[in-house]
Amino acid sequence: MHDFIERITAYVHWAIFLLLEVLSGFMLFQYNHYQGSIWFTQANTVSGIVHEWEAQVLSYLRLPAENAALVRRNTILQQQNDVLRHKLQAISAPPLEQKDSTKKDSPLGEGYEGSFIPARIIDNSVRKRDNMLVIDVGSEDGVAPEMGVVSGTGVVGIVSGVTSHHALVMSILNSHSSISCRLRGTEYFGYLKWKGGSPLRAYMDDVPRHARIHKGDIVETSGFSNVFPAGIFLGKVAKITNSDDGLAYKLEILLGTDLSNLRHVNVINTPDKAELDSLLAQ
Amino acid sequence: MIVTTLKRMAWALLLLMLQVLVLDQVHPWGYGAPLLCPLIVVTLPMGTSRISALLWGFGTGLVADTFAGTPGIGSAALTFIAFIQPPLLKLMAPRDSEEELHPSFSTLGRWNYLRFILLLFLIHHVIYYALESFSYAHIEDAVISLGVSYVVSVLVATVVEYVRNPQK
Repeated sequence: MHDFIERITAYVHWAIFLLLEVLSGFMLFQYNHYQGSIWFTQANTVSGIVHEWEAQVLSYLRLPAENAALVRRNTILQQQNDVLRHKLQAISAPPLEQKDSTKKDSPLGEGYEGSFIPARIIDNSVRKRDNMLVIDVGSEDGVAPEMGVVSGTGVVGIVSGVTSHHALVMSILNSHSSISCRLRGTEYFGYLKWKGGSPLRAYMDDVPRHARIHKGDIVETSGFSNVFPAGIFLGKVAKITNSDDGLAYKLEILLGTDLSNLRHVNVINTPDKAELDSLLAQ
Repeated sequence: MIVTTLKRMAWALLLLMLQVLVLDQVHPWGYGAPLLCPLIVVTLPMGTSRISALLWGFGTGLVADTFAGTPGIGSAALTFIAFIQPPLLKLMAPRDSEEELHPSFSTLGRWNYLRFILLLFLIHHVIYYALESFSYAHIEDAVISLGVSYVVSVLVATVVEYVRNPQK
């Protein structure tokens, strides 16, 4: 009997080993439903605080580059604004009256009525197959799941879960991400997907063969989903290839946003989102 | 007993901070970040009970995973190498070594210790990247990530070990 017990205890570490591996596996599979597992991610309170502290240091180090990009983007937008204003004046005979200030300042596409919630990225990755980022605003700041996240240079991702002070964002560099997009100036639309590899290259599938596409054409959000308003810059066409079944074009898109070097973003708060959601749920 | 545990915790904390605050931000050529956590398991002294080694591996993995957003991946890989570290160390240690031998370049010998690191890191990295790329469409990317991360991780681990235990 004594011998038996001794023999059993000699193998206890096997049981514990298997138990811990099973536990790891459980967490691994649980994570696949990432919306439900926010407590076990970078967005939980403790790691949130540490990442926030780290982000504060890093954002100082990266300020010069960030500033340069912002200034450049600002200049482009100002120029665009100028050109458009002149065109508009030329078209409409009576001089335009100033619109109310909220709409005038909106830097985003057509018919846009939402507001921005500025946020800082406190944790980010681009090396995984399913990349997520964490921002320092949460439900108490008005952030809710399914809200769009943009930077000065384009779309960043979609909020997938929130805690009171942090939010987990599914980056466009995520195999589950699929953003409704179109070619600017045309009605051809498709879905922007990322297939791993370079964080600057994504793909737009299912563009019909009769579409006239050129390298350098601009890809923007379509506005079909209520996450992003129409007309937000996504990237430019870098390469035109055939889709896997040969029936359509597959466009390689050079993304406008370098997610590996990003600190400041804005969450888009669409005011009529709740209304739209309830309509879609019906 | 308590002092050694506290010392080991401080060592683990130091490596974890290095991992989370520095290495997780580094992506050599856009591929996998170096992973230093296996070093916590590698340096467990001889005579550590199998169970306590397993708990060290799992615990370290859990903390690293929570910060990196990869639940289960690191803990599975680290638990596995924590399972094989004690018998492997016994195999590689000189026969007349003291009971509580702390693996390092001086105690195991330069080449022997490097082999020890190379082997455990390799097993860890293979498990880690296999689990991470569970649904990988591009298997080449996973393999390149594994290779790049492995080389850089071992380099960093060697440097850390030389700093911790300078050779005369």
